[in-house]
Amino acid sequence: MARTLKLDLDCCVNAGECYYNHPRLFAMEDDGAPRLLLTSIETDDDLREAEEAIEVCPSGAISLE
Amino acid sequence: MATAEDKMREFLRRQIDPREFDAPAFQKDPFPLYKRLRDDHPVYHDRFHNRWVVSRYWDVDSVFQSSEAYTRGIYEEDGPYEFGSKHVFGPNILEYGVGDRHRWLRNIIAGQFVGQKLNDFLPVIDMIARELIARLGTGSDGKGGFELVTEFSTQFPIRVISNMLGLPREDEDRFVDWYQALIAGLGFGGEHLARGIAARNEMWEYLEPLIEKRRKEPGEDLLSRIIAAELDGKRMSMEEIKGFVALLLAAGGDTTDKAIANMWYHMLYTRPDQFAAVQKDPELWSNVFTEMMRYDPVVHMQQRRATQEIAMHDEVIPKGAIVLIYLGAGNRDERVFKDPDTFDIFRDDLHMGRENRSGRYKDGKPGHLGFGMGQHFCMGYAMARQEAVIACTHLSNALVNPRPKVEDHPGISSPSIDSGGFRSPQELWIEFDRKAEGW
Repeated sequence: MARTLKLDLDCCVNAGECYYNHPRLFAMEDDGAPRLLLTSIETDDDLREAEEAIEVCPSGAISLE
Repeated sequence: MATAEDKMREFLRRQIDPREFDAPAFQKDPFPLYKRLRDDHPVYHDRFHNRWVVSRYWDVDSVFQSSEAYTRGIYEEDGPYEFGSKHVFGPNILEYGVGDRHRWLRNIIAGQFVGQKLNDFLPVIDMIARELIARLGTGSDGKGGFELVTEFSTQFPIRVISNMLGLPREDEDRFVDWYQALIAGLGFGGEHLARGIAARNEMWEYLEPLIEKRRKEPGEDLLSRIIAAELDGKRMSMEEIKGFVALLLAAGGDTTDKAIANMWYHMLYTRPDQFAAVQKDPELWSNVFTEMMRYDPVVHMQQRRATQEIAMHDEVIPKGAIVLIYLGAGNRDERVFKDPDTFDIFRDDLHMGRENRSGRYKDGKPGHLGFGMGQHFCMGYAMARQEAVIACTHLSNALVNPRPKVEDHPGISSPSIDSGGFRSPQELWIEFDRKAEGW
């Protein structure tokens, strides 16, 4: 079943770990904030990358629902 | 009206002789050349060394951020070269450069140096700083004097990392020796490289049984965590683990020890007036760290290889060209910082808090470039800051009236900015009235 990838920009510190490590899922805005490129997580590869991004995010701004 | 001859004279006046990069004057004080590069040659084609140089803040930022247009890897990842065979550290992520393998190795380790995992090691940092301060001798009148570089700063980070790794404390001094040989082998060839590789091999021989033991009986230490770390069900090989330990000892030690010496140098000699404020409010050591990383960081230069043609200003950097990123020059860019040549821990145009990889901060201020940014942003950034700030805070709390022993100091220098020579004072003698209560 597809899951939804979410970003909490209020809690994000612009660390950049998500978009440097997972450019397929996240992109960098000019101000350093991340933007979601993919919200619906369907394949195993997507899920693995999403979980890795959650793991490396220092502010806990990324979640899967 | 300007004659053709005037124009030629003006053109020649702006020229840079590429041999200036090799001159002792540049290693001592690179900032005048940095300014000429920024003003007259924002993209400088150095035909003598066959490379290109960028120096303005936003150009440095753009090269760091464009990981498609530039690569950190010197070799192709799938090429015939055996990684690590010619490197003092052995196979390590600095050489892998790019790709999934690099990302995998980097993530295993980077996570250990931030957040809660870093906090777990703060008591170690605290303990080592206290031990080293306890060793500083005082006379019968309580007065003391010491040389910061040999007695404190070069001792500190290497002992912290050795403890974090869980290496036997009684062998700490051996690690200090190996570490010094590894570092010397980094920037120079010949005898230094040979000694560096010999030290690496000796250290590896020592480490192998320790690694085997941790594999069977893992502990809470960093070495056990590295051995057990998994990504996608894969672990590091023995060679990779040993390469990583060498990298951690050297890369994590050398830079931080020089940062501490630089911070004290600037407080004692560049801004004694601001040192008074720092002694009253030791939390300002955090600002001292940030401003040092801007004004004259330990590392001034990073290198990349262009993977495509790049048009910048009115030049075109060809595919395959070596590009030197002078972050030390970008940090002094008057287009970004007011009075860039003034060391000021209270500046309002620099992001003063913790660094991040994107170089973009929510306070809207530009950050220093001292850790690089983007794909290859220093993975030890949070730990380096913690170590440097804790060490400096403890030291200034412990010493009553610390002051320079000699009035004149030759200043900060580098054996070679171009080839990995890090900038720091060679010596820094400090005197104090006595140790404070409880130290």
